[in-house]
Amino acid sequence: MKRTFRNILLTLCTIALMAGLSWADTLKVGVQAPITGSYANEGQGIENGVRLIAAQINAKGGVMGKKIEVIPCDDQGTAMAAAICAKDLVNKGVSMVIGSYTSTCAEAAQKTYFNAGVLQTSDGTADSLTEHGYWTFLRNSFPNSAEAFFAANYMVNVKKYKSIAVVSDFSSYAAGLAEATVAEIKKAGGNVVTYAKIKADSQNFTPVLTNIKSKKPDVIFFAGYYSDGGQLRAQQKALGIKADFIGGDANDNADFAKLAGSSAKGALIINVPSPAALPYEIAKTFIADYQTTYGMMPPSIWGLMNIDGMRAIIHAMEHNQSFDTKKAADYLHNMDKPLEGITGSISFAADGNRKGGAYVVKEIQADNSYKIIHAE
Amino acid sequence: MDIFLQQLANGLTIGSIFALVALGYTMVYGVMKLINFAHGDMVAASAFVGLTIYTQVMGQATSLFAVIAIFFLAAAVMACVGIMLERLAYRPLREAPRLSAVVSALGASLMIQNGIMLIWGPQMRIFPELIPQVYWDINGVVISLIQVIILALSVTLMIALYLFVEKTRMGAAIRASAIDQDAARLMGINVNKVIALIFIIGSSLGAVGGLFIGLYYRGITFNMGWQYGLYAFIAAILGGIGNIPGAMLGGMMLGLFQAFIAGYVSSTWADAFTFILLILILIVRPTGLLGERVAEKV
Repeated sequence: MKRTFRNILLTLCTIALMAGLSWADTLKVGVQAPITGSYANEGQGIENGVRLIAAQINAKGGVMGKKIEVIPCDDQGTAMAAAICAKDLVNKGVSMVIGSYTSTCAEAAQKTYFNAGVLQTSDGTADSLTEHGYWTFLRNSFPNSAEAFFAANYMVNVKKYKSIAVVSDFSSYAAGLAEATVAEIKKAGGNVVTYAKIKADSQNFTPVLTNIKSKKPDVIFFAGYYSDGGQLRAQQKALGIKADFIGGDANDNADFAKLAGSSAKGALIINVPSPAALPYEIAKTFIADYQTTYGMMPPSIWGLMNIDGMRAIIHAMEHNQSFDTKKAADYLHNMDKPLEGITGSISFAADGNRKGGAYVVKEIQADNSYKIIHAE
Repeated sequence: MDIFLQQLANGLTIGSIFALVALGYTMVYGVMKLINFAHGDMVAASAFVGLTIYTQVMGQATSLFAVIAIFFLAAAVMACVGIMLERLAYRPLREAPRLSAVVSALGASLMIQNGIMLIWGPQMRIFPELIPQVYWDINGVVISLIQVIILALSVTLMIALYLFVEKTRMGAAIRASAIDQDAARLMGINVNKVIALIFIIGSSLGAVGGLFIGLYYRGITFNMGWQYGLYAFIAAILGGIGNIPGAMLGGMMLGLFQAFIAGYVSSTWADAFTFILLILILIVRPTGLLGERVAEKV
């Protein structure tokens, strides 16, 4: 009898505790990002950015009277850790998740957020992310298919390369971008001499590059991440391969040029404009705040894209005067007027894709700065 | 043909790094019959130590003297870490069952890996270009200065180690301890000193390997030790674990094998073929290529 009584009491206490937690007066924002691992630089950029914008919003009184509480989770850039993060963040009661950086991680976590009705905004560019029909997913970047079209057009029609080598790793983003680019090049009448795959993080790319060298391409298009791209560029030069080097959007990180060292000069990168080149007033203010808080520039545009995704969700909640995630998603999918963002105006199509997007080609200069040499 | 020679040059470069690291595994196994799983992470740590010596001690100097000094200082630091590792993680367990020592080694590996992450941070750190980018094009085969340095220095170190073990009194003590520690003790050999010595040598060679990784590939991450440790471990088994020339041969072979598989088959399959090769060797010649059949001590 005593034991039953104790059990009932314990259960009651637990319920009270859990209810108490969910009543706590904060808006819980999850950050799922590769805070450690090969893409740690980007993951920390996302976390830092979200913490900064949350602090700024909290200083102005929060969202409809609720303070933002940031709950980070490290997905290490791997699908396995991402799935665990998703469960963890949902259990902690977040109403939105910012991130992740890689498409692979965003995709591994998508279904969990969808089932829990948690909004997710990621910079992942793999087209497959928006093909599942999850209303919870909002892409704050632009899909691979758009970039592939731009890249193919640039290589075939602007640069008039006769032979193109395409290299990618096995991730959702990289393989997706490479395949789409190969298809677009063929459609534009270009000639793909080889499509090679590398294993991300394996550091030694000379065997693959030696094969590419024998095909004598005019250009190497690399769809993959900066941590491999910088090394690929350095090893390309070391093997005396004369081809131009064009990196896809995920090469747009300051570490690319550092890794490539003296070989970085002349490499081309296709992406939307860099943080430093953003013309908007709101961007200049935020980047200045970021620099004073963390003593450095944001590592790339991706952290800022994610922050724009978060700002859009909060804007929707404030517009609806409700924390309901479904209502927020409905509003974002049918926005009559786009929101002014750090990375340009932001609004979403019904499938969760961000509308718009203008790519540029940047050339790395001797001092590792970027110079825009071609714009859409 | 020039593609073949180019892959050969690539394979020998990475192979000599594998061989340097494999020596650490094989020497410890030879004397202690213990697989020092922490060795790969020691190699990763040495790259970070080298980077810190460059930025903090050398004041970012890029002269030849500075580069040599980085090698010596990093090797010295890692030798000290190696001795500490042996004292703290392995010596207390020397009389314990072998499984306990293996678990201790895995624990040490995690400790070092996370230690690197806490000290130097989780993001990729980037090595400066200390070796000038000089290339020679010989009939279409391009060889860079750093490849030549890696190959020459590794081979020199390996020959020196071989001569040390085969021709000196201390080397004889190492060989004696490898055969039978109790008998070696009876002959007046201080086995504790021998074990400390092999940790010093193994860790310093690993440090050289780690610095090569940093200088050649330039990007270093706290968790890269696992990958290099695994390859070097396979190299040590290929050549016959416990056998010093075997580790050198195994490392070179593994480097060449990976370069040719990645070059002629697919880089996707390089790892799969590496493990198939390992399984085949273990089936056909369980003691490795140069390993001798040793009767298990009872």
